[in-house]
Amino acid sequence: MAAVPSPAATAEPTLRLRGVGRRFGGLYAVRDMSLSIAPGERRAILGPNGAGKTTLFNVISGDLLATSGSVELFGSDVTFMPARRRARLGLARTYQQSRLFLGLSVEDNIYLSIVGVKGGRLRPVGLPKRDGEIRERARNAARRAAIDHKLKEKVGSLSHGEHRQVGLALALAAEPRALMLDEPASGLSRGERNLLTDLLLGLDREITLLLIEHDMDVALRVAERVTMMHEGRVIVEGTPAEIRADQTVHDLYLGSGHRE
Amino acid sequence: MRSLGTFQSRKQATERTAAGTMLVLLAIWPLVFSSNSYWVGYILTQTFAVGIAAASLIFLSAYGGMVSLAQVALYGICGLVLGNLVTSGQAKGLHLGWSPWLAVAAAVGITTAIALLFGAIASRSAGIYFLMITLTFGVIANTFFGSVTTFGGFSGIAGIDTYTPGLVGNHVTQPARLYYIAFTVAIIVYLLIRYIVRTPFGIALQGVRDEPVRMRSLGYNVPLHRTLAFGLAGFMASLAGVLYAWSIGVVAPGTLDLASTVDLLVIAVIGGLARIEGAWLGAFVFFAIQTYVRNVSVPVLGGSFNTIIGFIFLAIVIISPNGLMGLWDMITRYAFGDRGGGSSEPFRELRRIVSDAWFRLKGGAPTRTQSRSETL
Repeated sequence: MAAVPSPAATAEPTLRLRGVGRRFGGLYAVRDMSLSIAPGERRAILGPNGAGKTTLFNVISGDLLATSGSVELFGSDVTFMPARRRARLGLARTYQQSRLFLGLSVEDNIYLSIVGVKGGRLRPVGLPKRDGEIRERARNAARRAAIDHKLKEKVGSLSHGEHRQVGLALALAAEPRALMLDEPASGLSRGERNLLTDLLLGLDREITLLLIEHDMDVALRVAERVTMMHEGRVIVEGTPAEIRADQTVHDLYLGSGHRE
Repeated sequence: MRSLGTFQSRKQATERTAAGTMLVLLAIWPLVFSSNSYWVGYILTQTFAVGIAAASLIFLSAYGGMVSLAQVALYGICGLVLGNLVTSGQAKGLHLGWSPWLAVAAAVGITTAIALLFGAIASRSAGIYFLMITLTFGVIANTFFGSVTTFGGFSGIAGIDTYTPGLVGNHVTQPARLYYIAFTVAIIVYLLIRYIVRTPFGIALQGVRDEPVRMRSLGYNVPLHRTLAFGLAGFMASLAGVLYAWSIGVVAPGTLDLASTVDLLVIAVIGGLARIEGAWLGAFVFFAIQTYVRNVSVPVLGGSFNTIIGFIFLAIVIISPNGLMGLWDMITRYAFGDRGGGSSEPFRELRRIVSDAWFRLKGGAPTRTQSRSETL
């Protein structure tokens, strides 16, 4: 069972899972999973459909609670902490489905992301100066995700690729210390994928990045280390080069028959 | 071809003109027409008061994604609490004889607190389950006040209109005073809603409406947000309750029974669940029809208020799921030429509306995405 600490993990890890499991009735979606991710590390989680990658994300973000084991985030135990408080600690995530606020404008979507972390969530009055600052930050985040030309448009009227950009802008705007992206490249065109890869490569080195991605070009270019999951467990962990060369990975993705 | 921006600004200008004209007309109404008329004393005052309760329902629905059936219960509770606190002597209930303003403040405060409690209980439910829980609140309130004789019992509390503050006076002899007060409170509630939905709290409420899961992972306490919104709507409904008690004089458990709960929902749906303005439009249509169309006979079915309002409700739901305000949006889209998604031919636009209605009747998908009101 892989409990391989990352080589860079000399400092306090950003994220540490110890024997984490998540069970749905009789099914273990994630089973006895241990993982340690160093500050600033770029880690990709790979695995075939149903491997438990998204469940793992949900357990880390707090959308689901682990049924066994413990989750440590930024050095403190968050196993039973609600998702909203993990977000305020500096953890941001995107979802596989867009999960955006379709009735609000792009700017309002990003605005909510900033207010969610910075406070003033229940403020029932407008403060022009403070709101102006937040909106300025929202516009900057939109610019970084290259969606600033549609600030005033309702998200419900945007295309799938644009939804992906807005989702990314939401995550970036919160200025997280750790960022989890669930299949950011799915459904994107080749050009959009390249833009996304460039954006991820240009990300602030202090942000820890955790990435689920089926697109190997994106995943293996961005990631420094790769964790391969299958049936809720880690089966291989290593650098992209090691993963490319690994026979188990080939078998999993292509079927062992391809060797013959 | 006109741009979208032009369409929206032209629509906005038209709406402002229409609203301004209507406000001026309503402001001078009691001066121009006899202030003792049935319109001032009943139809319009009730429209303002019950419209506020409908606005609280539409606020929760349009901005919070919560269709509440407890708004009638809340305004009824406020009226009954007010009645208990303010009346004295031979009146039913506690007849504590408090000073009118103090009693109003206490009634509004207690009702808002009850709304916060209701909201906290319902805040983890959504959709049909939220609807059922709020319906339960309504039934509980109705049964409670019907059974507990200490607070008035089944026949309720009468004569509340004689214990009004000096400013309000006697509704029977000076109906214009309450008319203007209800008018002012309605405007304030409208402006309050328009203001609050642009504050962080209000934008976040719309976020909760669209994607509660994402809101949670952005750092928001979703049930708390729903609870506070419900409390705010309860506060608005309690204002409606005070105005109702002052104008009708009697508040009984029957005021908050199931039929009244349905009436308010009918008002909100006729006006339109997507826009706040619809609350007062729906209330006006409701009270005008209640007054004038009582004795019109429908062939075969006979005639009654319920038959007429039922047909109107049916027609509205089929033709325009967003009510009369939705119809207005359709008309302006046609008149000012926003053909985005529609067509430039009037008959084709009409055919689209009819075919949408037909699909809705058959239970199929409409050709254009409609609002949340359909999930009702």
